[in-house]
Amino acid sequence: MQQFLDTTLGGLVLGAVYAAFALALCLIWRSTRIVNFAQAAMAMVTTYIALSLINADVPYWVAFMAAIAAGFGLGAVIERVIIRPVEGKAELNAVILTLGLFMVLHGLTAITFGVQHRGFPAPVGTSAISVGDTSIGITPFGILTIVVVALVMAGLVVLFRFTDLGLRMRAAAFNGEVSRLLGVRVGRMLTLGWALAAAVGAVAGMLIAGGDLVNPAFMDPFVIYGFIAAVLGGLDSPLGSVIGGLILGLSLSYVTGYVGEHLAPLVALGILMVVLLVRPSGLFAAAAARRV
Amino acid sequence: MRNTARRAVQVVCVLTTASLLAACGAGKERPSEDGTAVGVTDTSIKVGAHFPLTGPAAPGYSEIPSGHQAFYEYVNDNGGVHGRDIEMVVKDDAYNPTNTSAVTNDMILQDEIFAMVGGLGTPTHRAVVQRLNDDGIPDLFVSSGSLQWGDDPAGSPMTFGWQPDYEIEGKVIGQYVKENMPDAKVGLFLQDDDFGEDGEKGARQFLDAQIVDVQKYTPGGSTDFSPQMSSFKSKGVDLVIGFNTPSYTALSQIAAQGVGFKSKWFYSNVGSDPALVGGLLASMTKGKIPAEQGVKLMDGMMTTEYIPGVDAPDDEWVKLWQKVWDEYSKKGSEKLTNYRIYGMSQAYTFVQALQANGKDLTRESIVETIEKEGASFEGPGLAPFRFSEDSHLGISGMSVVEIKNGASEPLTPVLVTDIGDAAIEEDDSAASDVPPSSGIPE
Repeated sequence: MQQFLDTTLGGLVLGAVYAAFALALCLIWRSTRIVNFAQAAMAMVTTYIALSLINADVPYWVAFMAAIAAGFGLGAVIERVIIRPVEGKAELNAVILTLGLFMVLHGLTAITFGVQHRGFPAPVGTSAISVGDTSIGITPFGILTIVVVALVMAGLVVLFRFTDLGLRMRAAAFNGEVSRLLGVRVGRMLTLGWALAAAVGAVAGMLIAGGDLVNPAFMDPFVIYGFIAAVLGGLDSPLGSVIGGLILGLSLSYVTGYVGEHLAPLVALGILMVVLLVRPSGLFAAAAARRV
Repeated sequence: MRNTARRAVQVVCVLTTASLLAACGAGKERPSEDGTAVGVTDTSIKVGAHFPLTGPAAPGYSEIPSGHQAFYEYVNDNGGVHGRDIEMVVKDDAYNPTNTSAVTNDMILQDEIFAMVGGLGTPTHRAVVQRLNDDGIPDLFVSSGSLQWGDDPAGSPMTFGWQPDYEIEGKVIGQYVKENMPDAKVGLFLQDDDFGEDGEKGARQFLDAQIVDVQKYTPGGSTDFSPQMSSFKSKGVDLVIGFNTPSYTALSQIAAQGVGFKSKWFYSNVGSDPALVGGLLASMTKGKIPAEQGVKLMDGMMTTEYIPGVDAPDDEWVKLWQKVWDEYSKKGSEKLTNYRIYGMSQAYTFVQALQANGKDLTRESIVETIEKEGASFEGPGLAPFRFSEDSHLGISGMSVVEIKNGASEPLTPVLVTDIGDAAIEEDDSAASDVPPSSGIPE
């Protein structure tokens, strides 16, 4: 029972982290209709920026904000300079470009910050919380992670569902030509979409790194798992991304704890296949299946 | 249809050409008729090795080749070995077996190395053992304790281990736990390959009844070990024996703290370097604990030791390594570490083998020399080598130690044994070896 509780709590925190990452993928998909494989690398860069600040004695939360700002800037610059030239061409061009970007960012970070593991501090405790005499398998930082992810998700739902800006962003992504005729400044919306997505990615990076070790490859497992979580929920839906992330986190946690760590990646891919077979557009996609 | 046929013809042509080219290349590095070997001239010997200089296995391990190189430079400046300077080529494989094959190919075909010395890693080196043996290239002193380097000299005649294999380490740890902690509920934390497997095999000889849980991890996979630690916690484990690499020691400590799992810890020698692991743990405390004091976080952990390390600055061997490192480190600011000592100790054994071989050096002769004389090499190892025609396994023993303030305090004398049912015996004889005054084996 104790193990079940601990494993579940651990799975929820892990799931929240995948969810944060899936949210960033979902955001970029919603606002530009491409899948960004460089998301993990961009988040890794912003996390390293925050780590440098923290090591220079900047308070944690200032560094946290700096990472988000850096993500916002990085996303905007990448969209304007790198993605813009291939916009309007085949979707595959942009996707391949993001794969290339992934490698470039990896290399640059390794050159700038070195490849060794470094500890990344957390703003709150990373030891298990005790209830009475028994400690339960969740840490204050784990709780913080879940809360932050819930806030980000709520923010995105509000943005897309209830604001004019969100509507314009979706319109620009959905059909640029028509939106332009209707007076939406499509270019600006696309830039904003990338910037916001990278900012959310930066938050995910900070949550993943806190109380753990980082190296330039630390985000790599999230390229695949975050993508699976996003597709599970239907790339289109922030709520779906979060639920997809939680399903994935819990499954991986149970498999690792009860069966064996070596089966975890297989299970993740198994879940993905089943969902794609049964509901090709994801568990929570509202629209009918669309050609990607 | 015709298109497919034409494509097929093209593919066959390309493949044939490629394999012809490869065959030509492969012919090049065989020893020539007059008895001199590839990579050896009257004034030089070229050797090579693959190490993870980048990636998750790089912390610590990437320092080993710098130890090799410093010691070879020291030897070269003192006249070399039989008039030959030793040059070492180091290639990065990032602990990825695919890369290991590629860089080994480069070393064989382009750099034309005489021998591989100290290539690191169980999964990585396994990818190139066959190739090295097929081509008759000496594959000396692999930086890994897997059994496969030495328990089958007929199958891999050119390959030699160096450090104690993980099976005898498992046996020594198992016996110690059985005798001193007979009531402990043991959990095994294992790297999911030969490393963990061989260690478990040794430990189970003594602890089969005491082991209540076994958890594994895949190197390069998930780094969140909370589920594994939760499992230990729920099964009442109070002693974890870990056969894992150093960053995973830090990660397992972090995860144990995260799920509130308290235990005694016994890490294999590979994963226990106090300076490295302590530094990693300290860096997570936001500067509250300076890196030098991070080693305190390792207090009370047990491990094994088979060569003297930085925590014994008065040891004659460590004095030699310090002298060599001070003089020959490429960047003067970097400190001597246990990994650099490991590299220098290996390099010492290689120089010893070259000295014993004499001036007429071929790939066959070096193998023969180590088989005949290796068991009597005196070096920094606390126990003698097991080298013979029937065994290419390395150092035969170690002592169990406890970490206190970053230094290791011996809990047992040197315990010497072999794989299988061989008894474990106390034998301090090799621990008193001291280096010759020149610092170069004679």
